[in-house]
This record gives sequence, structure tokens and C-alpha cells, in this order.
Amino acid sequence: MEIVESIETPTREIVTPGMVISTDPELIPGRGAVREKNNEIISLFVGLKEIRGKYINVVPLNGLYNPQLGDKIIGRVIAKTPVKYLLNINSKYLGILKPLDAFKRNTRNRGYGKSVGSYRVKDDDLMQKLKMGDLLICKVLSGDRLNEPELTSLGQDLGQIKEGLIVNVPPPKIPRIIGKKGSMITLLKNQLHCKVFVAQNGRILIQGGKNYKNERLLIDAIHKIEEEAHTSGLTDRIKNYIIKEKKKRGIE
Amino acid sequence: MPVLVPEPHDPVCFRKDGKRLDGRDVDEPRPFSCEVGVIKNAQGSAVVRHGGNLIYAAVYGPREVHPRHLAKPDRGILRVYYRMATFSVHDRKSPAPNRRDNEISKVIREAIEPVLFLEAYPDSQIEVFIQIMAADGGTRCASTTAASLALADAGIPMRSMIVGIAAGKAQDKVILDLGDKEDKVGQADVPAVVVMKDKSISLLQFDGEMSLEEMKLSFKYILKGAEVIYKKQLEALKGKYETIRVNAKKESEEYQKSVKETSQKKPQSLLDTIVSKKTEEIKDTKKPKEDEKVQKSKKEQKKETKKGTKKSKKVTKKKTEEKAQKTNETIENAPQKDSEKGGKTK
Repeated sequence: MEIVESIETPTREIVTPGMVISTDPELIPGRGAVREKNNEIISLFVGLKEIRGKYINVVPLNGLYNPQLGDKIIGRVIAKTPVKYLLNINSKYLGILKPLDAFKRNTRNRGYGKSVGSYRVKDDDLMQKLKMGDLLICKVLSGDRLNEPELTSLGQDLGQIKEGLIVNVPPPKIPRIIGKKGSMITLLKNQLHCKVFVAQNGRILIQGGKNYKNERLLIDAIHKIEEEAHTSGLTDRIKNYIIKEKKKRGIE
Repeated sequence: MPVLVPEPHDPVCFRKDGKRLDGRDVDEPRPFSCEVGVIKNAQGSAVVRHGGNLIYAAVYGPREVHPRHLAKPDRGILRVYYRMATFSVHDRKSPAPNRRDNEISKVIREAIEPVLFLEAYPDSQIEVFIQIMAADGGTRCASTTAASLALADAGIPMRSMIVGIAAGKAQDKVILDLGDKEDKVGQADVPAVVVMKDKSISLLQFDGEMSLEEMKLSFKYILKGAEVIYKKQLEALKGKYETIRVNAKKESEEYQKSVKETSQKKPQSLLDTIVSKKTEEIKDTKKPKEDEKVQKSKKEQKKETKKGTKKSKKVTKKKTEEKAQKTNETIENAPQKDSEKGGKTK
């Protein structure tokens, strides 16, 4: 128990932009750090200093989501063009969802269907299937710094969200909500019996069904994790918190 | 009653004891305090109280540029909006942005740009909104300090924090951090923004008359004052997280204590009960087994007697004795083994 504690959460120093975090010439500045004159490595963020092997990193405590290949994210349809949906994915850019990546092609039901306005709409018109404001779990097919990321909603766990609640947290705090090897998320699931899907862009989907009390407690627990994301021994504290709150709120 | 004809300011800026009218020394900045994360909907925000100034700053982005033609394909753009509230000054200020507002916005933008990595955000913009709630001289410097705090809070990469502070001259004396009256009455005003990493200067304006020596002295004061404000900036940025960390540490210590107490208590109590129970059980349950074994052995003896071999009788007797001994040993050992397992109940 104690060994796991020490590996999981070493006490890490909080640093600020422009602070010299190391003068060691052998260390390589990784994420959130830059080498300046006289071998001084400076921090770029308000974050936690961390040394891993040769690399020295600063893990930021706030920031935006950067789409990366293979990330599972939750997006909201905010615009349509004749050939693609545009999704808000909590990032600098809008996500692009092309209809062929959104639905399975059904070859049988082709042909002419009902008429909308002055023109006919085919039964399998894929641009009519999603509405504004629909929520989707998507996967990033391509993401770089210059172009808008392309998404897909075909695959395991992906697709339209029909029910549930969504909680927003800053994207850099998502790893803490998942925990080391998924320890935190399994704790939340086991204790509160809700379906939880954590998307990489800072949106968390909660489906608790009828036990709404559990949902409430789960949301409070997520906000507690968000607030204390930079502290150590978090999993134990959250477990204690949930057990206490369960007694208080009368949840079995 | 509104004052229609403003009275000319009294030119006196020093007391008889040599200190300034608000009791400060020549090289002493006004009281400064700041806080971070005050506006919930902004990505990063800060509030600064510098003397009589009260300034809010909020940061949004990087996000899409509107109108689109302003976007640059090779780097992001920074937009700063400096606005004064209508009630922030003595006479009502028109809420529409005027020449002065636009100029100060530009000046602040150019002071912040060198510490940002705008080339990392092509085709996008970072927006900084600065709202002056109360003005008391030196708002452009205090605004830069607030903007720097808000940018750091938003998680936008920066080379360094920046601090704005002014020096000046009044009654032939060089002074640091002018107030409203000193600003109006004084002979010179030097607002400056210091990049704290290498103590370089990213904004320098000058208004009035000064000798070169006085200028050098004012720079000395500016660096000294900037250091004081920088410390408070760091406190605000770290303090937001440090207080939570301290509270969390206390909580987890309490939790570990409670866990230790329960882990020490439980096994002991369990051990006592289990050992006592088990010995009784064993006494009750295992004795009949012995009897059975003895009976079995008797049956075997009978069978063997039917076969009519005397040697086998002796051997079986020995075996039964050994078995009995073994069972006795097991009974003695049993409770200890259970204790070693950690007191598992059936």
C-alpha cells in the first residue's frame, strides 16, 4: 500500500512561467520547458515540475485541449454544410465529421423517399440524420497543429449519446480523473454503480439510470478531484469522501 | 454638486518630514494585492489592487479569429481591449472607446507580445480584456501586471512574467510609483514594463523633463519596485494551489491515521476471538474423528485377525499411535497457523 503511494504521487513542486527549474546540462527540456542561455531550463506554465529519466517536464494545471490521433472525445454538432457536420470539441478548431465516417452505409434502402420543400430527400440522406446540438462520442482520425481535426463515430463505444449528464473539467486534469492504470475511475464506478465515459477533451459522460443520488455524488466527487488534482494521495481521500458522503446522504 | 471648474492642484507633493503625502518613501511602491481565477467563465482571470486602482483582466483563447481576414497563417494574433468603467474616474467617462483607450490597448499588447509564443498558434487569436473599475494613476502599468497574471492562469505558455510600474519626478525629486496627484502635478512620468526573467524592458514611455542621472536613478527604482510586485504575483499564482495542497495533506494524514488504527485494532481482537473459538471447536470436532480412526483401526485389526497375521497387528497398532500423535500435534499447531493467516473466519 505504502509503496504504491510513493510511486503514484511523488510530491512535486509548483512552478511559474519564467522560473529557472534546472541548470543541469544533461537534462533535456520536455513538455512545458525551454532551454535558455547558460543552460538554464525555464518553465512555460503554472504547473508541476517533473523529472522522468533524461527529460524535465512541466505538467500544466490549466489549458486547452489539443486533438491527437486516436483520442476519444465528446463533440456537439454546431453547424452543417452540404457534405459535413462541424462539431465543437472544446478545442481551438471545430471537428469535421463526414457522413461516411458517421453512419454505417446501408446499401439496401436506397431510392427516393419523402419530399422536403421543393426537392426530394433520399431515405439514406446522411446529412439529415443529426441535428444541431446532438452529442456524439467520436475518435480523432487526423489531428495536427494546422488543420481541423477529422473525426469518426464508427467503432466500439462511439456514436450518438442518447441519455446522461455531461460534466466539464479542464483537459489537463483528465489523467487524474482516470488515475494510474484506471484506479480512480474504477473506484468511482464500483462505489457508485454509474456508467462513466471520460473523454480526452475534458467532457465526462455520466449515465446513472434511476439512481440519481449516486449521479449527484459522482459529480461532486469529480469536482473534488478537479480541485485537488495537483495533490498526492488523492485516491484514498476520494474513497474516504465517498464512503462518508454515502452515509450522510443515505445512499446504500 | 459636480465641479464645473476644476481647482488647480496644490503643487506640494512632500511632507515636512521628507516623506510623500501618503507616507511613503521615495522608492516605495503603493500597497499591492492580487488574486487569480476570479471570473468563472473566462479561461484565465485576475484582479489587481494597486494603490487606488482596481483592475480586472480576463483571457480567452486561443480561438478562431473573427473577422477571418485578420488571421495570420504563420502565427497567432494577440488582441488587448483596455476599457475604463464610466464610474472609474472623477468625471464620468464615456463608455465608447476613445483615442486614449485604443492607444493604451496597443501599448499593452506590444508589451505582452515578446513573452508569448504566438508562432505556436497559427490562424488563431488570444484575447485579453482589461476593465478598469477604479483609476488612481498608473493604470496602464497595473493593467499589464493584471494581464500577465490572467495569461499565466489561463495556461498559455509564457517566457516570463511581466510587471508594470512607473517612476517619475516631482518637486525635483525622483519618485517611484506615482499616484494620481503626483502624476498630474509632477515634472516627469516614466511608465515601464519589466520582463522579470532577464530584467529587460518591454515598454518604456516618457513624458516630461529629466537629466540622464535622474533617468538612471528612476530605472534603479523601477527594478526595485518590480521585484516587490513580482513576489506578490508568484504568491497569488502558487497560493491558489498551495492552500488546497495543505488542506489535502491534512485530510490524507487523518485518513491514514484512521486506517492504521483500524488495522492495528482489528486483527488483535479477531485473533483473540478466533483462537479461543477454534480451540473449542477443535476439541469438540476432532475428538470424535480420533474415535472413528480408532474404530477404523479396530475394524482393520479384525479384518487382519481374520487373515491371521500377528505382525500386521503390531504394525497397524504402531500406525494408529503415530496417527494419534500427529493429530495431537495438529491440534496444538492449529490456532497458531490461523493467527499467521491473519484471522480468517469460516
